[in-house]
Amino acid sequence: MSENILKIEHVTMQFGGVVAVNNLSMEINKGEIVALIGPNGAGKTTAFNCVTSVYEPTNGQISFLGKPIARNHPNKKMKKIYAGTHGEDFLGHVIRHTPDQITKLGIARTFQNIRLFAGMTVLENVMTAMHLRRKSNLFTAVLHLNLAEEKEMRNKALKLLETVGLLELQDEMATSLPYGKQRLLEIARALATEPKLLLLDEPAAGMNPQETDELSAFIKRIKEQFDLTIFVIEHHMNLVMEISDRIYVVDFGRLIAEGTPAEIQENPAVIAAYLGGEEE
Amino acid sequence: MTKINSRARKPIKWSTIISALIILLVYAAVFIAEQTLPATSMLFTVLKKGATYALVAVSMNLLNGFTGLFSLGQAGFMLIGAYSYAILTIPVADRINVYQYYNGGLVQFAMPVVPALIVAGLMAALFAFLIGLPVLRLKSDYLAIATLGFAEIVRAIFQWNKLGALTNGSNILREFPTFNDFNIRNAEGEVTLYLSTLVPFLIAGVCIALIVLLINSTYGRSLRAIKDDEIAAEAMGINLFHHKQLSFCISSFFAGIGGAMLAMYQSTIQAKAFTSAMTYEILLIVVIGGIGSVTGSCISSFLFVAASEWWLRFLDQKQMIGSFEVPLLRNGFRLVVFSVIIMIVVLFFRQGIMGTRELPDLFRRKKTLKQEVKA
Repeated sequence: MSENILKIEHVTMQFGGVVAVNNLSMEINKGEIVALIGPNGAGKTTAFNCVTSVYEPTNGQISFLGKPIARNHPNKKMKKIYAGTHGEDFLGHVIRHTPDQITKLGIARTFQNIRLFAGMTVLENVMTAMHLRRKSNLFTAVLHLNLAEEKEMRNKALKLLETVGLLELQDEMATSLPYGKQRLLEIARALATEPKLLLLDEPAAGMNPQETDELSAFIKRIKEQFDLTIFVIEHHMNLVMEISDRIYVVDFGRLIAEGTPAEIQENPAVIAAYLGGEEE
Repeated sequence: MTKINSRARKPIKWSTIISALIILLVYAAVFIAEQTLPATSMLFTVLKKGATYALVAVSMNLLNGFTGLFSLGQAGFMLIGAYSYAILTIPVADRINVYQYYNGGLVQFAMPVVPALIVAGLMAALFAFLIGLPVLRLKSDYLAIATLGFAEIVRAIFQWNKLGALTNGSNILREFPTFNDFNIRNAEGEVTLYLSTLVPFLIAGVCIALIVLLINSTYGRSLRAIKDDEIAAEAMGINLFHHKQLSFCISSFFAGIGGAMLAMYQSTIQAKAFTSAMTYEILLIVVIGGIGSVTGSCISSFLFVAASEWWLRFLDQKQMIGSFEVPLLRNGFRLVVFSVIIMIVVLFFRQGIMGTRELPDLFRRKKTLKQEVKA
């Protein structure tokens, strides 16, 4: 049994009366590539947002490296309208973090709709993500007494850009890159935070078939190179089947299947969810 | 790898050297002009006030242009800085005259100018810290309204009679060291070396240099990241509140020093002069100069001060061309012209004078469109 790096237990995310994620439980082990798939609006990105503490789950617990990073139970108004299950399991101490604290712990992410820093160059985008690991303080940074650190940051950023193949474009404005390259830059920027777990939210969206092929090799390569565990949301089934060790499938916020790519392809519930099965 | 390492050492760029030379030349020109031209020349009024406004505008730009926080509290922080400076530096012997209604006031010591300036900045930063705790959770226009309200409250409180022993109530503060006190005089009281314009330039220069260093540091990158995309910045591990608070306090620190400089320039101060109109003047300078350009703020503050104090003065008086009296010109018409200028800038020159470019950018070889497309 390999150690699990991320553990999601009975997480429910309810917005008013809408249950976006319903009793989601999953585990990701160290060194795995795990995919979360499902039709549009199934709650995949909401699940990501719970893991990164953008949202506070309504109920459930999320642990990273064995330590709970989020834990909540329905309270106040939500107590009355809570529509999920396991509402009594996580009573007591509420644990919450801000997204920047989660990143500091070692979970980095990319965004479905690209969110690069538009006013900065490619290199600056990556260097910005290294701010959280700084050793300098305000005074040494302002008086530029941290030149060694700046140089180290710069070198590391350049190496990352070389890894993703954007070294030549380092001085371009981030938003002037073509779409596929912007996605790669987002990954480079996420890697710059030195994550242990990397969350990729539809990394192949908007890429052409050739770029998608390159992406799957790329994801495997960075996994080895940076000793990562990768959790990915994706719609391109070819990509998902090729890279994933295990796949979780959600529909209407519920987990409907989990297993290896081969198992998932055969699973009738998954086929029904994707192709529209008959109502039973 | 070799490619990376060779690139990592930033070569000293020509554009930086040229910019440094230009700044040096400006300082030299100010010094020489001050020794040769008559001290009463309008030019020096403009330069002194321009340097003061340049510092405040750059501090506002740090907040509005680089961190993306739309704050309108600048006049309030200037007021705190100006009063802190004045209260701390009025010579003990003069206090009984200045605080004539309050038995010489509460403070019975005087500080040298430079420490007083720093304390002025720190006081403004302290107030910024406290007001930032609740206010910085607000976004865009709400933040603007809250900070504007803060500035108005400060203005009212400083005129409050009960605080008169400290602030002299609604009476003016005077007798503190002004820019003219920097002129070096001989025993007969004649000026041997004029420094009254160079000193404000030096104070503003040092402060602006510090702001530029901040912007170019790893903290500056984080502030720009927050401006570009808060959600992404937070996901990259940047603590939003901490960095916004930092930017707010630093901006207010320099606004406080700017306020102290304004006190030195005017030689008397009164709280009721620090109106929201003053904040709008600074905002106008920032917009005309280019939101996100320190150089732009500096250039436009001198242009603004020159226009309002000197070049456009004629608009406020009756003007005769031969026997023809030019219509519309009367007291206040200058402000109408200014309003029109603002509208023109906002409608047609949204980038301002400099956009987001800085001085060295002007001397950099521009990339041709072709190169960019190829990349």
